[in-house]
Amino acid sequence: MTIHPIQEADTTNAAPYDTIWTSQEVPVQPPDALERTMLAQDKLYVVLAVVLIIWIGLAAFVLRTDRKIDRLERKLDASISQETSPE
Amino acid sequence: MPVSGKTYRRIRNIVLAWLTLVALAGFLLDIPRINILEHTARNLYFHVPMWFTMMAAFFVSAWRSGQYLGSRDPLRDTQALEAARVGAAFGVLGLATGIVWARFTWYVGQGIWWNFDPKQTMAAVQLLIYGAYFTLRSSVEEPEKRGRIAAVYNLFAAACVPFLLYALPRQMDSLHPGAEGNPAFSDITHPTMRVVFYAAVIGFIGLFWVFYTQRVRLATLKERVEDAFRT
Repeated sequence: MTIHPIQEADTTNAAPYDTIWTSQEVPVQPPDALERTMLAQDKLYVVLAVVLIIWIGLAAFVLRTDRKIDRLERKLDASISQETSPE
Repeated sequence: MPVSGKTYRRIRNIVLAWLTLVALAGFLLDIPRINILEHTARNLYFHVPMWFTMMAAFFVSAWRSGQYLGSRDPLRDTQALEAARVGAAFGVLGLATGIVWARFTWYVGQGIWWNFDPKQTMAAVQLLIYGAYFTLRSSVEEPEKRGRIAAVYNLFAAACVPFLLYALPRQMDSLHPGAEGNPAFSDITHPTMRVVFYAAVIGFIGLFWVFYTQRVRLATLKERVEDAFRT
């Protein structure tokens, strides 16, 4: 019994993002140096790249928060010294 | 303050230890090998939680904006702003990691980084909508007026999330799971991977909470300092 009849995909008017996948000749380019590196070890380096991006992004976020704290500290110090300094 | 310093430090330490375990599990546990994906299936633990965290952050932000409209308490406005900021940071990380993942799986042999996959495109649009929120805030000087306008806009921005990230991409030919013709996440994911994945989502949302609390404390402190020395 067929519940959902599978329709043959019409590729004549396919949008750019799926033409790659409906065509049979993938891959079309020989792997370049970057791909040879990243595809080694069953693509584990891709995971490494993703984790590093997240790590660097989160670290940058922490550093930005720290810079805000520094600025506030300097401001506070300047205000205090202004108040206590004699006229 | 909503939480005491002691509670904050305790949750922060738990979150950091938790995420360390998630990273270890993410790399060390065995996963089924699938063509094209291979080891990059592990990105499920790192790339996807970025988006879950972003959505949680935007939900918190919208919630605080709603509270601001009800109470006109400046703290609520600060909370909405900081939640949106942290959420946008997670969104940018999700986009960047997605580009790298796609380059070496979907677009291998094509040499392209970006091909307007509907989900990617809509996520970028969503980030631009939040970019407009920050720009809008900086264009109004008067705090009361700024808070009100920003809160109303923020509710609109949050209302776009389910449409841009779920409804639309699922109607189109996206390569992401759950789109037209692709099975949804829950149908295809190995049980071990699901456990680590949910742990990662909880961990990163916890990390959002840490950053968010930190920045709200800082912003409140800044207000207090400015008030104290405004003479």
